[in-house]
Amino acid sequence: MTELGIVDIREIIKNILSKYGYDFSEFALTSFKHRLEKLIIKNNLSGVDGLLKKLKNNKEFFDIFLHEISVPSTEMFRDPSLWRWLRDELFANINEKNLTRFKIWFPNSVSGGELNSLAILLREMNILDKVQIISSSLSNKSIEYIKEGRCELKKIEVSAENYIRFKGTSDFSNYYRLDRYYAFRDTSLIKDVEFNKQNINFDNSPMNIKLILFRNSLIYFNPSLQEKILRIMYNNLSATGYLILGIKERIKNLDTNKEFALVNELEGVYKKSL
Amino acid sequence: MNYSAAIIGGSAGSFQVVTKILNSLPETFPMPVLLCLHRLKHVRSGFVEALSLKSNIPIEEPYDKDKLGPGKAFLAPANYHMYIELANRVALSTEDPVNHSRPSIDLSFITASNAYRNKLIGIILSGANKDGAFGLKKVHDNGGVTIVQDPEECEVKTMTQSALQLTKVDYVYTTDLIIKFLLKLI
Repeated sequence: MTELGIVDIREIIKNILSKYGYDFSEFALTSFKHRLEKLIIKNNLSGVDGLLKKLKNNKEFFDIFLHEISVPSTEMFRDPSLWRWLRDELFANINEKNLTRFKIWFPNSVSGGELNSLAILLREMNILDKVQIISSSLSNKSIEYIKEGRCELKKIEVSAENYIRFKGTSDFSNYYRLDRYYAFRDTSLIKDVEFNKQNINFDNSPMNIKLILFRNSLIYFNPSLQEKILRIMYNNLSATGYLILGIKERIKNLDTNKEFALVNELEGVYKKSL
Repeated sequence: MNYSAAIIGGSAGSFQVVTKILNSLPETFPMPVLLCLHRLKHVRSGFVEALSLKSNIPIEEPYDKDKLGPGKAFLAPANYHMYIELANRVALSTEDPVNHSRPSIDLSFITASNAYRNKLIGIILSGANKDGAFGLKKVHDNGGVTIVQDPEECEVKTMTQSALQLTKVDYVYTTDLIIKFLLKLI
C-alpha cells in the first residue's frame, strides 16, 4: 500500500475529533502514521477513504481503532535491571502495614505484558494479594486482550530470557501455557486487578497512587501532550509516589521536570517532588 | 550541495568500519551523523563507549525527542527504533521489529529520508541481513545521495548486496573512499 501523507493524517484526526471527541493531533507523527497504515491493512480497508467510512457512526470499530492505534508492550521483564530494582530496592523495603495501602497504576495498558511482569514479581515476594493494582485502557478491546493473556511465541522466548536476567525464583514456563500458534499468560495472576476504561484525557483517573508504571508510552506523544499527561500523573501520585518511565524517556526538557526528581537515572525512576 | 544529515546502517562486520569513519571526522563536521547498527537487545551499555574511544565527535544514544545537531553522532539505542521527525528531532519507538530488527535500519532511513529529502546521505555497510535495502531505495527515490560499502571489502556481504540489488546507487566505495567523500563536505 502507499504511504499516508500528512494531509491524509490530518483528515483522519479531524474526523475522529468531530465524531468521537478524541484529539490525536498531539500524537508523535511518525509512529501514529505507522499505526494508521498497519490498521488499514489489518482491517482490510481501502486506504484513507475506507478508514474514514468505517469510522463513521461505528462505535464498535472505534473501540478497535483505539486498541490498534496504541503500541503494545514489547516483551515481559524488558530491562530486567528495572524489575530487579522494583523487587530488591522498592518492594523489599515496604513494611506490611504500608503494603495494604500501596496502590499501583498502569495507565494506557494495551497488552498487559508489564502488568503480568509485575504480578509475577509480587507473587514471588508473596505480596500480590496485599497491594492494589489498577489497569486503565483506552478501549474495551484492550481490556479483553489483557484478560485473555495471548502473546506471540517470539515475545515469550525473549521474555523468558529477560526473566532469567531478572533472576526470578521460579521457572518462567510456569507462567504461561502454549497452544499451536500462541502462548497464553497465566491470567490468574491478574484476577484481582481492577480494570477500567480511561479516555484520552485521563479524566477520572485513580488518586493516591504510590507507583505509576508508564514505560514507553510518552514516546508516542508530542511534548505538549507529554506535559499535560505528566501534570495529571503528578496530581494522581501520593506524596511519596514513584513514576517509572522508559529508560530512554526523560522529562528534562519539559516544564513538569521540576515536579519530579529523578531517583534512578539508569532505570528512569522518578519520585514526586514536594 | 548542502546536506542536512548523513545516516549509516550496518550490522555484522560493520563495527570496525563505523569506528574508522567516526575517528576520521572532525568536530566541525557540518551535520549530524545518524547511526543505526544492529545490536543485542539486552545490552544497554558499552556500545557508545566503544565507538567513542577515538572519535573526535561526541556520540550519543539519544533520548526520545532529543534535538539533532551538527558535529555529533546519534546511535539508535538498544531495543528501540530510532525515527527522525520533521522538526529535526529523534522519536523513539517500541513498535514490532522490522526485518527481525529493533532498531531497524529501514525505519531509520525511511524516516530520515522523509525529513531531509534530497539533503540526506545514506550509507549501507557490511551486514548479515537485508535490513536497510528498502530504506536506501527510499533515500534514492527522494533525491538523496546513496553509498554502499564495496561488498568485496565487507566482512559479511548480504546487506550491501541486497541494497545494490534494489537500488542503482550513486557510489560503491571502500571505507577509505567513504571517508574521503565525507571529508569533502566540510
